[in-house]
Amino acid sequence: MIDEETLAQMNGKYVCPPDAGPAWRAAMEYGFDMSLIEDALRMTPEQRLEQHQRALDMILELKEAGENHAAK
Amino acid sequence: MPQNDKALLLRLKDQNVEFVIIGGVCGVLHGVSLVTFDLDICCRFTGENLRRIEAAVKDLHPRHRLTANKLPLELTDDLCERLTNIYLNTDLGILDCLGSVAGIGDYEQVLQRSIPHSMSYGEFRILSLEALIAAKSAVGREKDLEAVKLLSAIQEEKKKHKDLF
Repeated sequence: MIDEETLAQMNGKYVCPPDAGPAWRAAMEYGFDMSLIEDALRMTPEQRLEQHQRALDMILELKEAGENHAAK
Repeated sequence: MPQNDKALLLRLKDQNVEFVIIGGVCGVLHGVSLVTFDLDICCRFTGENLRRIEAAVKDLHPRHRLTANKLPLELTDDLCERLTNIYLNTDLGILDCLGSVAGIGDYEQVLQRSIPHSMSYGEFRILSLEALIAAKSAVGREKDLEAVKLLSAIQEEKKKHKDLF
């Protein structure tokens, strides 16, 4: 039986680390997905740049596809 | 229009351009999760260094992207003396070369507040986290202030965990 807290996390609830400082909490409350920052901080800077490149490529491909679709 | 930051960085390095990575890509290297669509660098605005930049992108159809007619990058001694920034569109994406950074100062000051970053394809200098926060705070646009929120959170976390890059 999945408890309510685990279910909430499965549904996307972010659990702020108990030792999170004020800036971390402020960014979270502003609406940033801080789990992405946690993931990024576990990477090396080069891995971060590679991940960024993949995201950028995907966005630009989608943009191009949208433009091609609109042109038809 | 593709944006290949790694390829642009490698070209700059190959030509021994004196530069520091600033802006959104610098934020990404520090751990920010926001996507950025250009490569911003701060570089020494001497004729020699500008010619190195020109050599790095000369076969990429570089154009001054903010000019009305998208003028091609064709440096002259006169231009080298008068330019303070160069905003380029190239076949590998946007490359913005700035002579100074708001909140920090000219290239020498940017260099002083930069840190080395080793990657598998070479070592690059990037603006330190503290300096990037100062720069983005000084620019003060909404998107910059949003980035400052993330950068401040990352700074806080890195102070707690010294092993984080």
